[in-house]
Amino acid sequence: MDILKSIYEVVWFILLVAAGVAALEGYFYTHFKFYARAWFFPAVLGVFPALALAVFGGLLGGYTFKLWLYFLLAEAAIAAFFRYAVKGRHTVPYLLLAPAFVGLALLLVYPFVFEVYLSFHDLKLTTIMMWKNTGTLPFVGIDQYVKVFTTSPLSEVTFWALLGRTLLWTFSNVFFHVAGGFILALMLNNQIRFKGFYRTLLVIPWAMPQVVAVLAMRGEFHSTNGFVNILIGKLLAVFPFLAALGVAPVQWLTDYPLLTCTLINIWLGIPFMMVVILGGLQSISSSYYDAADIDGASYFQKLRFITMPLVRPVMMPAVTLGTVWTFNNINVIYLVTGQAGGTEQADILVSALYKAAFTYNRYSYSAAFAIVVFAMLFFFSVFYLKSFDAAKDER
Amino acid sequence: MKNKLLILAAVSALCACSRPAADTSRTIVVWEQEDAQVAPYIDSVFEAFRKLPENAGVEIVRTHYQTEDLRSQFQAASLAGVPPDLLLGPSDTAGLYAVSGFIMPLDGHFDFSRYNKPVVEAITLDGHAWGVPVSNGNHLMMFYNKKLVKAPPKTTDELFAYCAGPARQLKLERCMAFDMGEPFWMMPWLGAFGGWPMDGKTPTLDTQAMRDTVNFYLDLKYEKKYVPMECDYNCMDSMFKEGRTAFIINGDWAISMYQKHFKQDFGLCVIPRLSKTGLYPSPMVSGKYFMVSAGAKPDKLALLKRLLEFYTSKGNQIKQYQALTRLPALKAAGLAPEITSDEVSRISLDQILKGRPMPMATEMRAVWDSARNYLGMAATRKLEVDTAVRKMQENTDRKIKEMNQ
Amino acid sequence: MKKEMSAAAKRRRLNHLLLHAGLFLFAAACVYPLLRIFSVSLRPGDKLVSMDLSLIPAGATFVSYAKLLGDTMFLRWLWNSLLITLATSFIGVSLASTAAYAFSRFRFPGKKVGMILLLSSQMIPAGMLILPLFLMIMKLKLMNTYLGMIIAYSVSSLPFSIWILKGYYDTIPRSLEEAALVDGTSQVGAFWRIILPLSTPALSIAFLFNFTTAWNEYLVARVVLFSSQQYTWTLGLFELQGQYITQWGMFAAGSMLVTIPVLCVFLYSSKWLISGLTLGSVKG
Repeated sequence: MDILKSIYEVVWFILLVAAGVAALEGYFYTHFKFYARAWFFPAVLGVFPALALAVFGGLLGGYTFKLWLYFLLAEAAIAAFFRYAVKGRHTVPYLLLAPAFVGLALLLVYPFVFEVYLSFHDLKLTTIMMWKNTGTLPFVGIDQYVKVFTTSPLSEVTFWALLGRTLLWTFSNVFFHVAGGFILALMLNNQIRFKGFYRTLLVIPWAMPQVVAVLAMRGEFHSTNGFVNILIGKLLAVFPFLAALGVAPVQWLTDYPLLTCTLINIWLGIPFMMVVILGGLQSISSSYYDAADIDGASYFQKLRFITMPLVRPVMMPAVTLGTVWTFNNINVIYLVTGQAGGTEQADILVSALYKAAFTYNRYSYSAAFAIVVFAMLFFFSVFYLKSFDAAKDER
Repeated sequence: MKNKLLILAAVSALCACSRPAADTSRTIVVWEQEDAQVAPYIDSVFEAFRKLPENAGVEIVRTHYQTEDLRSQFQAASLAGVPPDLLLGPSDTAGLYAVSGFIMPLDGHFDFSRYNKPVVEAITLDGHAWGVPVSNGNHLMMFYNKKLVKAPPKTTDELFAYCAGPARQLKLERCMAFDMGEPFWMMPWLGAFGGWPMDGKTPTLDTQAMRDTVNFYLDLKYEKKYVPMECDYNCMDSMFKEGRTAFIINGDWAISMYQKHFKQDFGLCVIPRLSKTGLYPSPMVSGKYFMVSAGAKPDKLALLKRLLEFYTSKGNQIKQYQALTRLPALKAAGLAPEITSDEVSRISLDQILKGRPMPMATEMRAVWDSARNYLGMAATRKLEVDTAVRKMQENTDRKIKEMNQ
Repeated sequence: MKKEMSAAAKRRRLNHLLLHAGLFLFAAACVYPLLRIFSVSLRPGDKLVSMDLSLIPAGATFVSYAKLLGDTMFLRWLWNSLLITLATSFIGVSLASTAAYAFSRFRFPGKKVGMILLLSSQMIPAGMLILPLFLMIMKLKLMNTYLGMIIAYSVSSLPFSIWILKGYYDTIPRSLEEAALVDGTSQVGAFWRIILPLSTPALSIAFLFNFTTAWNEYLVARVVLFSSQQYTWTLGLFELQGQYITQWGMFAAGSMLVTIPVLCVFLYSSKWLISGLTLGSVKG
């Protein structure tokens, strides 16, 4: 009974979302289609603010005049924009994009504005009470941003050293994700037996719940019980000359915590890249390879001049987003060094930021910090995409 | 026209979704962060409370959170104006909630003289008590495997004599294990060397006692090799359960688990007296507490009060000991024969008497954070002991300043 | 005959042997930790780490599985997760496939900015969103309902899905659609009958991504759901974790059980991941 009920509920939600999308499309369609009609302004200004008031007033639990006024002003701006700027052009692409962007805006605009607000004010342990009771906070201008660059959220590591460490962490992870994913995808892209079997096993790190996957891997890096050190010990027993080269069992977690985190994170991230690249390889026509074979191209030449450039458009989004995600990803670091953050040797920018936010309750400082992180990532990706476009134009 | 119909449909659908608010005055929402085996006990007490005739129609909703989640979610919920009515947890975050105004002082509402003094002290800040204690302890003590150890050591000399002799013969991997990365495990030893991390609200870390404690750690690890080189909570727990180490220092929360695991081979004792100073190690003592959200309405407060008094009644305190091996916070229950006759409770109580209340001040957060970092560096020989201890203090002071400025 | 195998065939055989060896090694590195988790789930006494390296530990028992399925609502939680995940993936992939088409096939002002806006939605450290999300969910009365979660999940996976689909659509020659348009097919028809079937690899990547993200999501679920009846498995599994004591046996058993559906989805999707091969023939 319960199961049936939950199915109904979720189907109902899907229909609700579909209705929402339809309503949205209808709304924009009206604006695209009838922007030039004489009755455009009175009609949209009459209908849509009222409808919006009905929906949001119902949700928020109050139909106030102020709310309606806001909707009216917003609608006036939108209608004017459609009448004098858009003029019904590019209807199809905008209608296609509308649901995705409106959805993202619904989810993220409020949190983002909230963070920006916090970053110019001062919310911390001693002002929480004031904020809770009066809803206002002292305005401090760019103080928090100055603090981000001049002080450090950690005790031994400066902001700039932390930034360097974060960049190292990000790029080594992404590099090995892509390299490993590429190699595995190329290997799987052959006509060999048990291909599906291998592919399924190879995605296990992605398929497992991350918490357990990381805790399991963490165990393998333990100084005495872990597989890694046992393997090193076995290797030393077989090849004694390795010891002369400085190979010895290592206390991974205490001596090289960040390296351990990186190794584990690489292991976790390869399958995702592998699947993406495998998909990308499917977009390459075999005729390119046939032509190259006729020209007598070697395997590596084909790889360099056919596979790599052609797989790039599919791979690029995964690389860009992978960089952003890795930069902000602290799951592995938290799980490996302990929930409380452990020592500082494995902290990156974002884990230090969380320490400031959650251990010391410096919300405004960490909000400013988050905005700085956001800005860095933003400029990086704009720059990266520009260079990608430039490379594409050259060809 | 079609589009507008769709919009209307969507609107009516959305309106249908917003339900009327339920009657919340008879519903008590409790958030907790207890270990999973405790949940059935909590539920059983709540169930018994609901069955009382005067509580007809009362609903109690319990939600479990992980430690870190409880903190962030409770703060978010308090700021959003929809906090739970009660929190059940240790005292370490209570200072934060008290300073933020998320929980209310309970002085006028409960008679705190009925509870053990140290456990109340651990939830007292700025002269107010901020929670109702439901158990006393949460303290570290020593457990041993009776298969490996005949009689528990009384002093560290006896302990080390065992480690140097019988432990070697038994080919134990290590003689004893405890979480050396967590400063919580360092506090008993710090006390035994004559130090304590806080004096009122002032951190006191750059002391001879702290240097002695860190040197004691280094000696255990690198010279005597009685403890594992790299071992966190799960590691020490497994080592002890698998009989690879004879002793473990762990909290009273683990007693019932070890009793189940070792049966008659389970032994416990107070952490042995430090021979060098002649002092007993002093673990931090607190307890588990119910905290009342600052948003609780006066009419509901009466109901909450009834629940908490029921939860900490003598009968339930004894039942709690029998189910979870947690010592009662209520004085009257502590004297009951069911508890005084039991060896485990006698030793646990003995250890509590040797301990000191855990400071509740928010400044303690900076102490934990700094101590963890510099203890970690000093104990792995990345930093000289003197430097580490000095920096531990400096950094704590700086963080407190940043936090409170 | 056999002895006179050609040099090329011999080389291919050697290559395949090497390939198998390499793949086997990598696969072993992927499977080994899962097997360790399996052995934790069989281990009596809630021990996470152990000296015991054998996969079937001494005193192996399925008691953790029995306890997990009997004492907790684990199956219910799995079912809740599955429903939410499927709904999310369905909505997410449909929205992404159309939006990506706009980015790939149309020129319009704001195209570049739009792409970057998508990307920038992933750049705010997630932990910082807890407080504003909580406030939002309370204001919109979305607590304890899946509606908010489904919307949040499908929307937050959109940027990746749109980007990857756009990249893939770009590799499909325009001439194919143009031919269809000349034949009198509508634009929508061309999208439906030409672009989508040729993009199954990218669609399945987007689906897998949506699926795994929603399946493993914790943060939003933690904020939205309060009643254990409605928990997803991520929340349910963490019921087993307390401040110090975690019931590792049940935790590991649960992890094994939640990995299975994902592996099934991967197994099933592999068919679609490869079937874009038709593209090769039309492209040449």
